[in-house]
Amino acid sequence: MWAALAQCTIAVVTDRLVQRLRSVCGDAAVLREPVQLLTYECDALPHLREKPAVVVLPASASEVQQVVQLCSAEGVPFVARGHGTGLSGGALPVPGGVVISLARLNRVLDIDIPNKRVTVEPGVTNLEITRQVAPFGYYYAPDPSSQQVCSIGGNVAENSGGAHCLKYGFTVHHVLEAEAVMPDGEIVRIGGSLPDAPGPDLLGVLIGSEGTLAIVTKVVVRILRKPETVQTLLAAYNSTSDAGAAVSEIIAAGIVPAAVEMMDALAIRAAEAAVHPNFPPADTVLIVELDGPAAEVRELFATVEAICRRTGSTVVEIAQNDEQRMRIWRGRKAAFAAMGRVSPNYYVQDGVVPRTKLPEVLGRIRALSERSGLGIGNVFHAGDGNLHPLICYDERIPGQSALAEEVAGEILQYCVDAGGSITGEHGVGADKKDYMPRMFSADDLDVMQQLRDAVDPQRLCNPGKVLPTPRLCGEVPGPYREHPVEKAGLAERF
Amino acid sequence: MTGLRPGTVADRVDGEVPPQVAEPDSPQAFADTLKHASAERLATVIRGGGTKLAWGRQPASVDLVIATTRLTRVIAHRHGDLTATVQAGMTLRDLNVALSAERQWLPVDSAFDEATIGGIVATNDSGPSRHRNGTPRDLVIGITLALTDGRLVKAGGTVVKNVAGYDLGKLVSGSHGTLAGIVDVTFKLVPVPQSSATLVASYTDRGVFVRDVAALDASQIEPAAFDIRADGGERPYQLKLRIATSPAARDAQIAAARTLVSGETIVLSDMDERATWAAQLDTMSHGDATVRFSWLPSRLAQVLTLLEEVRRVENAGVTFTGRVLGAGVLRLTGDATALAAAVGKLRGSPDVGNVVVLRGSHELKQRVDVWGPGRASDRVARAVKNAFDPAGILNAGRGPI
Repeated sequence: MWAALAQCTIAVVTDRLVQRLRSVCGDAAVLREPVQLLTYECDALPHLREKPAVVVLPASASEVQQVVQLCSAEGVPFVARGHGTGLSGGALPVPGGVVISLARLNRVLDIDIPNKRVTVEPGVTNLEITRQVAPFGYYYAPDPSSQQVCSIGGNVAENSGGAHCLKYGFTVHHVLEAEAVMPDGEIVRIGGSLPDAPGPDLLGVLIGSEGTLAIVTKVVVRILRKPETVQTLLAAYNSTSDAGAAVSEIIAAGIVPAAVEMMDALAIRAAEAAVHPNFPPADTVLIVELDGPAAEVRELFATVEAICRRTGSTVVEIAQNDEQRMRIWRGRKAAFAAMGRVSPNYYVQDGVVPRTKLPEVLGRIRALSERSGLGIGNVFHAGDGNLHPLICYDERIPGQSALAEEVAGEILQYCVDAGGSITGEHGVGADKKDYMPRMFSADDLDVMQQLRDAVDPQRLCNPGKVLPTPRLCGEVPGPYREHPVEKAGLAERF
Repeated sequence: MTGLRPGTVADRVDGEVPPQVAEPDSPQAFADTLKHASAERLATVIRGGGTKLAWGRQPASVDLVIATTRLTRVIAHRHGDLTATVQAGMTLRDLNVALSAERQWLPVDSAFDEATIGGIVATNDSGPSRHRNGTPRDLVIGITLALTDGRLVKAGGTVVKNVAGYDLGKLVSGSHGTLAGIVDVTFKLVPVPQSSATLVASYTDRGVFVRDVAALDASQIEPAAFDIRADGGERPYQLKLRIATSPAARDAQIAAARTLVSGETIVLSDMDERATWAAQLDTMSHGDATVRFSWLPSRLAQVLTLLEEVRRVENAGVTFTGRVLGAGVLRLTGDATALAAAVGKLRGSPDVGNVVVLRGSHELKQRVDVWGPGRASDRVARAVKNAFDPAGILNAGRGPI
């Protein structure tokens, strides 16, 4: 890669800059000691680590703005960070750069029930919004598994989804407006609390841009009325393909469930060991949740139950109350972390296939598991084809870490082969940028880079993420042409 | 360049007859035409069905119209995955006829029969169905664009869940043809509901009307569409609530809704139901001008008062239809002076925002800027515009950026 060459855009953090950061945010909010910086070396993807030169914790949008202005003036790269729960290295520091933690921007600014809007700062956790509005009978729909700890700012960066996005969509469908500090330090409001702001949908591009276009300092989200009824069932199957057939039939019946989740035997075993959800013994469990008006849910739920039985479910358990429903979800949501109970190390992959290709791709993953000798547990959002294979390995065995990474990459190839995506919700970040050419042509990626350069011409805002192979400094945007260094055989692009 | 012909009166863009019209027969020909236009710095307008061609500022000149009339195929309908990829020139109506074979549809409304997919996405135009399904930008999952440098590029994909790369499909939603040509679009679809009915309640008392709208909106009823109408007639206020689900659930929800409203109610189905919703969209045409605007739901009473004032003080005819979520359209009748004053009054009110003159006479367009005052984020939009259309040819001077 261009590592050495790309350095040319990067200025170093000088003592003078640190002094100025201290005068903006206060001494205590500027971290430089190695032991303090340790926490910020990685997000929830711990195998990618870099040392930042300095971490700042601004307490207001105005402080964020001043920090960005200082970085911009000095040409120092900066990376925004929420609560560090990202799974693609999106908050990985630039070596020697600045990390801007939004953890102290954690105020709920406005709760407007009549208009179904809540205004928050980016460090507020996802679940906190629901906690605040639950007494009024409302909730915030996107529910990533990390919702107790992940920040709204991070959700905006990653366009986070969750188990219920089959029916309710992603963060991009629930954010109305964002206040953002642009890479040159200007504060702008993007989108609008009122619908139909004229012009291109910049908010739709900002959401999911993984912190590469701006730093969000305020977010207006819409909240939904809590549905009248929620019904959840768990169906046990002897094979994933039978469970997959049930999913297809449910969709073909014109039903859009709130959630359709699947777990295979290894994932079930891990969840049992960790949180004892008491799932029936099975090769695969299917979790289907319907919500909405009582009459509608009652009717459609009967259809779903019949489909599950018809497609060969051995046991159908219907949650009779909230407690039983929570138990089912506890088992599902704990599955990632629970893998630690059955394997010393594991790698969480995130890929998407068209729903109808699920059985085929799961078959390929099973064969890959046998071939590589690594256990692969599958926990996934079956309704929208979003797979989360959990690849088990033991880093103490020489070569297994590398093998696990190779297997994870192979699974992404299966997803692309099936017409899917290399990421459904964890993002590209630093982790998957080199897989981007498998989905997109050089021209596709080039136009994305042009968009990025239009917004961040200095290339200081979370550089090295999302797009592969950063261009050399001074190279002008446009179709791919050979760089002089390449021509001279001094470097190659991969 | 393929498919170039002289423009005729039928090709007019807001009154301007373009000297040339291109009708590319392939995506690459579309991109080649744009490259040529950019190199020659031709003021270019991209046209789908031409139903909203007069939207935007009055053109100083139009050198070239690129029409998508020959890009009209459904590329794929993956019914098991509830997705479809369709070329930009296909009409929404034809697409939904094709999708209905599998009892699915693209849940977007248009006031115009000839409106194409490309035009609907470029304007992010929507109707009552946005209450449940959002606007076109919420349904786009992948896109192919023709760029002014002659390249064809893709973003997104064909799966409903995908966060790889920048979402250029959202970027061009609402861009009004100022950034790139839309070649094809991939959408997520929804099943056609098993059954449907609409509760219409009519009111003479504004306060009671506003109270009932708020009560329904705060209830656990889940309508497919929830609209209002104020037309200055005998019973000047109406609410329309569409329930689309299984028959038993439909009846239960209509009954529940009835207990929450005190106006004179009627339940419509089939032809009558379709007609009442068509009337909601009809505001987009006829009259002397069409104005789009938005408001916070809690300000509905103030919005209705404001419209009364416009009717009374400016002596303009006002028909208002809108979504309860706070987005609506006015059909105005009156001379340009009255209408310009009406637009000024709306823009001066703290209770409404995003006041855009979609359609109006040249005289009106000379008196008011159709897009309204600029916003701080315009700077970002212009930087993006400059990257996509460095020669500034696309909808030059007419679009929102």
